[in-house]
Amino acid sequence: MTERRQPSRTGFDPALAGKRAECDGGGLVPGTHFAGRQEFTGTLTGEYVDHGEPPWRWYLMTDLSDKPEGFPDDAVWCESESVFLVDEPAR
Amino acid sequence: MPKDPLRTKLCEMLGIEFPIIAFTHCKDVAVAVINSGGFAVLGEAMHTPDEIAADIKWIRDRIDGKPFGIDLVLPASAPASETVEDIIAKIPESHKKFAAEIKQRYDVPDPKGFIDLHQWGGLNQEIARAQLDVLLDERVPVIASGLGSPAFILDAAHQRGMKVFGLVGRTRQAKRQLEAGVDGIIAQGYDAAGHTGSMGTFSIVPEVASIAGDTPVIAAGGVTTGRHLAAALCLGASGVWTGTLWLASRESDIDMIIKERLLASTADDTNYSKCISGMTMRVLKCPWTDEWSRPDAPVPLPPPYQMLLSSDYIQGANDNRRADLMTEASGQGVGFITSMKPARQIVFDMVEEALDAFESLTGEPE
Repeated sequence: MTERRQPSRTGFDPALAGKRAECDGGGLVPGTHFAGRQEFTGTLTGEYVDHGEPPWRWYLMTDLSDKPEGFPDDAVWCESESVFLVDEPAR
Repeated sequence: MPKDPLRTKLCEMLGIEFPIIAFTHCKDVAVAVINSGGFAVLGEAMHTPDEIAADIKWIRDRIDGKPFGIDLVLPASAPASETVEDIIAKIPESHKKFAAEIKQRYDVPDPKGFIDLHQWGGLNQEIARAQLDVLLDERVPVIASGLGSPAFILDAAHQRGMKVFGLVGRTRQAKRQLEAGVDGIIAQGYDAAGHTGSMGTFSIVPEVASIAGDTPVIAAGGVTTGRHLAAALCLGASGVWTGTLWLASRESDIDMIIKERLLASTADDTNYSKCISGMTMRVLKCPWTDEWSRPDAPVPLPPPYQMLLSSDYIQGANDNRRADLMTEASGQGVGFITSMKPARQIVFDMVEEALDAFESLTGEPE
């Protein structure tokens, strides 16, 4: 497999810290070639990671009040464009 | 002269004859559809960057400069990573026992080798970036994101003259991606095969079309006939995204047993549950799905735990070609797939039926 390592940079956005948000998440279901959707509601910590160049930003969400049944963790990383603040203006 | 209803802005954008997109994991299907005037997007989520590069070359060698697309699944959320062993250790004994009982009751044979799933390295952001880099390097005409937003890659793609499509299951996802500047939105409904959202195709397509402006909307989920194509265009779409339709085509490389099952199936023969992978997924019914549908069955585990639990059954069934046990992702449109046709014939039949549908509404011959 060709290695194409990309740098990752961490950061913190104080404007988002403590904000409640929903995440329209999901990804490739391991072992299949299908995408699977998972939804979360929780609190953004403000922490983020930018993967690669151009940066692909991911936010950390904790205190999950809504998550898939049986989801074992209390935190999840959410891709920035999949995060919707709970008090965002109506569409 | 009456306007050709199939000559849509999607056709003009892509330089194709018919607004039919085949989503497939089979290169032969992709090439056949492309050379028949449609468009094809090859699913490459499970492939390494080198495999993707090889597939791109293979397709390009056979389509004489016509456009094509590559689909990747960009993750939109990611838990902490674990090893396969860690995950297997967390599967409750009650679930392992239930799975073992199914295996015994239906005489499910063991897989013939290592379970493929157990070799998986998972998909994380680094792998997805490496896959995307190949698409950018190769200047693939269209990148399709099967789940997460492709917004971060838009500038890089557009600078290379490439187009980017995003697949959505909710209108707010479409709005976000349209604002970012995607070139096309695939609005996928609940009728689809595999993992889908909760909104029906008949609902999500017009809702997304109402906010899309000049950006083509492509209807997905249950599309298998020309009447579906005509209906999608009436709902405001500029084309259709089709999947299950191609599984039983002559060119498709899936097992003949599954092809025959698809030909014999209707929407009632599909099961929508979490028992295969831990996420809601529509598949052909099989003993595994039947047993997990029982009132006394345990609650399916989330991914990847449930997928690890089902993998022994699935690979045992597939390796030993047990027609009575096998399953495959299938959309609700499966009832319209009644014969094994060449992909070219599928395209032409779809076009003809769509035009007939329009003619029946307007009374005007084409």
